[in-house]
Amino acid sequence: MKNIRSGEFQRAALGVAEKDLRTEFRRSYEILSILSFSVGSILICSFAWSGSGGGGVTDPEVAGAALWVILFFSSILVFTTSFTREADRGTLGGLKTLPCSSLAILFGKIIYGTALLFFVECVLIPFSIIFLNIELGTRFPALLLVCFLGAIGLAFAGSFVSGLVMFSEGKTLLLSFLLIPVCMPVLIPSVMATKKIVSGSGIAEVIPELRLLIAFLFLITAIMVLTFEFVLEE
Amino acid sequence: MSNNSIAVEITEVSKRYGYLQALKSVSLEIGASEFLVFSGHNGAGKTTLLKIIATHISPSSGTVKIFGADAFKNGGETRRRIGLVTHESFLYDELTVRENLLFYAKLFGAGEEDFLATVDFLGLKRWYNVRVKQLSHGLRKRADIVRALIHNPDLILLDEPFSGLDTKTCDVLVDYFKSHEGKGKTLLISSHSLEWSKKICDKGILLDKGKIVGEMTF
Repeated sequence: MKNIRSGEFQRAALGVAEKDLRTEFRRSYEILSILSFSVGSILICSFAWSGSGGGGVTDPEVAGAALWVILFFSSILVFTTSFTREADRGTLGGLKTLPCSSLAILFGKIIYGTALLFFVECVLIPFSIIFLNIELGTRFPALLLVCFLGAIGLAFAGSFVSGLVMFSEGKTLLLSFLLIPVCMPVLIPSVMATKKIVSGSGIAEVIPELRLLIAFLFLITAIMVLTFEFVLEE
Repeated sequence: MSNNSIAVEITEVSKRYGYLQALKSVSLEIGASEFLVFSGHNGAGKTTLLKIIATHISPSSGTVKIFGADAFKNGGETRRRIGLVTHESFLYDELTVRENLLFYAKLFGAGEEDFLATVDFLGLKRWYNVRVKQLSHGLRKRADIVRALIHNPDLILLDEPFSGLDTKTCDVLVDYFKSHEGKGKTLLISSHSLEWSKKICDKGILLDKGKIVGEMTF
């Protein structure tokens, strides 16, 4: 990373993220389709499982799984528009002309993915609480922390995989297949932590899961630093 | 020639895409301030050579120096001195011309004032706040040229800049690039047709099957 000047990495990453978010919100039908998928799925889960935990409350295991399955599939929809759209439209060449490292571009995509997933979560979490009849009380911030940390993990994994498959044939299918194993280290602790919080545990009891999520972020960052310079080349 | 007077120094560069040998041991020196065209049939290796000079793709073997420095060891610094226009547009359809240019300008550390004169010269003022998807091919090409020159590069690379453009737009581009003569800029054009390139360049290099097969002076 010889070509990273102080502050330039940050400026490049934020610039790419801002451009992507601006582009995404001009294509509002894509965001609406992700939101309608999330809300529709929660409604279906609500009809199927509401009261499975007794007293009209959804079983914590079911609620945690439902939330993360929906978030995972929403993330697939988000990451099919990350690097793959740049490659399809030829605008990736423009990113290659920039005087920044390819890692800065990747981090821009991660910020964009995280922001979109946060946006989806802002709709999904209240809907889940209402329609899955989850009783959280003072544990709501703990659930938010787990969901946001999990979304960051999904954004790291999703952006990296989106970059890896962007020149492949059948990239959308490949992205979905590859995301499942790569996202497992994010999904397992996130589901476990969500289940604990919905069952009544506090933040102290989910610290092992949060540690796993943070360890995954360190690991995937190390892999990205070592490999991503070569990924952008056709 | 001293390093400062050589813009591009290519030594024994080859490029292979799987079984296809796109470039075969090409060596070339291009002086600073030269206006030069790479010509040849489709598949001759012009675009590959231009993409390697632009550091978009790395060669399978050989070295490339831009203004005396290894192009691939100093990728970011090299790209600061290069402006590239290809047959593909690097502009985003959903954004306006202004938003696209500001995006690239910000990442090159330039400001709006740095490219407004070029926007005016290329007749884009009227389309400045229009989304790129609404532009014609010619207008999009002009906007792409502004994008490539936003950081005032010393080395300008144009891949088939005149293809699909009407005579009026070609005239505008010829006038624009001619206005760079004598300003220390180096201009490399890749084109299979010399009709317009000859009006800008004073020298040509002929490529065939990935090799340099001749030189021309206009």
